Amino acid sequence: MTASKKIVLLGHFGVGKTSLVRRFVEDTFSDNYKVTIGVHILKKEVKLPENQINLIIWDIEGSEDITRTRSSYLLGSHGFIYVFDTTRKSTYENLAADLEHIRSNYNDVPVLVVGNKSDLVTRAHLRENKQHFSLAQYFSSAKTGENVETLFEDLTKKLIE
Amino acid sequence: MLEAYKKQFLSPKVQFIVISEKGDILDSDDVLFPFKKEKNIIHCHPFFESVIPLLNHTENSLSFSCVHIGEKICDINCKTFRDQDPLIIIHDLTDHYQSLQTVTQKRNETVIESEILTLHNTYLQEKEAFKRTFIANFSHEIRNPLTGVFSFTEMLEKTSLSDEQYDLVEVVKALCQDLNIMINDILDLSKIEVGKFAVKNEIFNFTELLETTDFIYGTKARQKKLQFRMHVDKKLPKYIEGDKTRIKQVLTNVIENAIKFTEEGHIDLYVKLNHKRANKVNIQFEITDTGIGIPKKHINDIFTSFTQVHKDNKYSGTGLGLTIVKNLVTLMQGEIAVESEPGKGTSIKFNLRLKFPINYKEPQKKDRDDNKVLFNPKKKHNILLVEDNKISQIIVLKILSSQGAFYLDIAENGQQAMERVEETQYDLILLDIRLPDVTGYELAPVIRSLPEKKYAKIPIVALSGSLMGDNKTKYKKSAMNDVLQKPFQEQQLLKTLHKFLK
Ligand SMILES: Nc1nc2c(ncn2[C@@H]2O[C@H](COP(=O)(O)OP(=O)(O)OP(=O)(O)O)[C@@H](O)[C@H]2O)c(=O)[nH]1
Ligand SMILES: [Mg+2]
Repeated sequence: MTASKKIVLLGHFGVGKTSLVRRFVEDTFSDNYKVTIGVHILKKEVKLPENQINLIIWDIEGSEDITRTRSSYLLGSHGFIYVFDTTRKSTYENLAADLEHIRSNYNDVPVLVVGNKSDLVTRAHLRENKQHFSLAQYFSSAKTGENVETLFEDLTKKLIE
Repeated sequence: MLEAYKKQFLSPKVQFIVISEKGDILDSDDVLFPFKKEKNIIHCHPFFESVIPLLNHTENSLSFSCVHIGEKICDINCKTFRDQDPLIIIHDLTDHYQSLQTVTQKRNETVIESEILTLHNTYLQEKEAFKRTFIANFSHEIRNPLTGVFSFTEMLEKTSLSDEQYDLVEVVKALCQDLNIMINDILDLSKIEVGKFAVKNEIFNFTELLETTDFIYGTKARQKKLQFRMHVDKKLPKYIEGDKTRIKQVLTNVIENAIKFTEEGHIDLYVKLNHKRANKVNIQFEITDTGIGIPKKHINDIFTSFTQVHKDNKYSGTGLGLTIVKNLVTLMQGEIAVESEPGKGTSIKFNLRLKFPINYKEPQKKDRDDNKVLFNPKKKHNILLVEDNKISQIIVLKILSSQGAFYLDIAENGQQAMERVEETQYDLILLDIRLPDVTGYELAPVIRSLPEKKYAKIPIVALSGSLMGDNKTKYKKSAMNDVLQKPFQEQQLLKTLHKFLK
C-alpha cells in the first residue's frame, strides 16, 4: 500500500496557494480569484523513482496572521509549503517571523518557502528585495507552471527521508 | 401542522457515521453523503485519509470547521472513546459558509487592489523621479557645450565680417539663446520639482522693475500694433524685499504669453496693493489681454508641464512658461488663477506675499563716472529702431530701458519703417543696413525726402556689421549722420545718441 502524507499550504490570502495546487493536481490555471474559505483537501499520487506517495494536500484559507490559522488544519501535517506573493510586499515582509512561528510549533516538520507569481516580477525587483527573498527556496508561477512540480516533488522527497 | 412544516423546511443537516479504528465504515445514516456503500471511509474523501491516523483509543474529540466535502461545506467532529468505536458527525453548514465566502471575497479583493494600487503608485513615482533627475542632469550637460557655442559665436562676431556674415552670426546667436531659454526653463522646473529651488531675499527697487517692464513690453506690444498699459497702485512701496529675478521672470512669462496670443487690442497690467502690515506686503498682479482665449476644458491645463493648449505652430515654445510661473508664485507663497473666454481674452491674476524695508535709505548713487553718458529721465526722446534681428532689438531695448529717457518703436523692415515714420515724429532713427526688403543705404534717402520738414534733418545712425572697404563713405553718401559697428557696447550707443539729442 502506498503511504499517505499530509501537507498544508500556508500564506496570506491571494498569494496563489489554490492556484499552485490546481496547477499541480489538475494542470489548470485561472486568472480569476476565488477566495478559499476553510479548507479544500485534494489528493495526488506522486511517483518517485523508488517510492510512490499519496500526497493529501490541504489548501487552506489565507491569513495575514499565521498565529490565527486554525490549528486543527495543521494537526498531523508531514510538511508545509509557505507561499508568498513576490509582487505584494505585505505577504512577505513578516516572512522570517512566520517561519520562526512554524518551526517553534512544528519542530520536525519540513517547510518549503516559495515566492509565487514569478511571472510578474523582474530580476531587478528580486534583487531589491533580496533581504526577504533570500529565505525562499523556490520561485514559482502557477500561471506558467514554473517550478510547481519540482516544488511538490522536492517536498515529497523530504517527507520520506 | 408544526411537524409538517418541519418536514418541509428543516432539511436534515447532520450525518452520523460509526467507523472502526482503521476507518472501515460500520454504520452511516447517509443523511448528507452516501458513504455506507464504501468499505473504508478513506475512500470517501481524502479528508478522512488524513484524519484516521490521528484517531486513538483515548477519549477524545477533534473538530474541523469549514471543510469542503463535495459540494458541501461542513463542520466535522471526530469522537474517539476508550472502549467504543469512533464516531464521525458531519454538520452541513453550506449556507452559512457561502455567505461568509461572499464577504471574505469582497474584503480580500479590496485589500489586494489597494496594495496593487500603492505598488503601482510607488512605481510611477520612482519612474517620475528618475525622469526628473535625468532631465536635470541632461539639461545641465547640454548647457556647457551650448555656452561654448555661444561664446565662440560672440568671438566670431567681433572679427571683421561682411554685413551678410554678421547677420548669419546673429542668427546662430539667436538660436543659441532660444535653446538656452528652453534649457533654463527645464532646469528651473526640475529644480523646483525636486525642491532644490531657493527664493532669494534682497531689497530692490520695485518701481524701477515696473518701469523697465513698461518700457520693454510697451515697445514689444507696439511692434505687434498692440497697446500695453500699466496701472500701478500709488500706495505700493518703492522698495521690496524679495527675489527680483524671479518676480521679473513671472511677470515676463505671463506678459510674453499675453502678447503672443493677442493679435489685436491691448494688454493691461494691474499692480495693486492688497494689504500692507508691519513689514509685510501682499501685492496683486493682474494681466489681461484681448487675445484668442482658452477653451473652458483646457483652462486647467495651462499650468501643466509640456501642454500647449494651442497646438498651432504659430505659437511656438516649450509650454513650460506658465508651469514655471505657477511654481514660482507658489514658492513665493502666492496664489494664481486664470479666467478666460475664447475669442475675448484671458486674465491671469496672482498675488505675492513679500516684505518691504521700513525706513530704507536709498543707496547713494556711486560717483558718476565722468565718461558715462546719462540721460535725464524727465525729457523723453522718441527713437525708431529699424532692425530685423531679434538680438540686436533686445540689446537696444535693454540699453535704452536703463535710461528711462526714451520711447522706442521697432520696425522690422523698410515698409514698416516708412509706416512708423509717417505716424510718429521721431527724434532719431537707428537704421540697420541689411534689412529683409531694402538696404539702409536705400532707405535713408527715402526718409529724408519725405514732405515733413523734420525728416530732412533727423539724425539717422546706421547699424552695420562691417565697416570694411569703402563702406564708410557710403554712409555719408546715403545721407546718414553716423554709423555704429555691431556689436556695440552700451556706452558707444549712448554716446552716439547723446551727440545728436543734446
Ligand atoms: N500572474 C500570476 N497570477 C497568479 C499566480 N498564482 C496565482 N495567481 C492569481 O492570484 C490570485 C489569487 O490566487 P489564489 O490561488 O486564489 O490565491 P490563494 O492563496 O489561494 O488565496 P486565498 O485562497 O484567498 O488564500 C488569482 O487571481 C490567481 O489567478 C501566478 O503564478 N502568476
Ligand atoms: Mg485559495
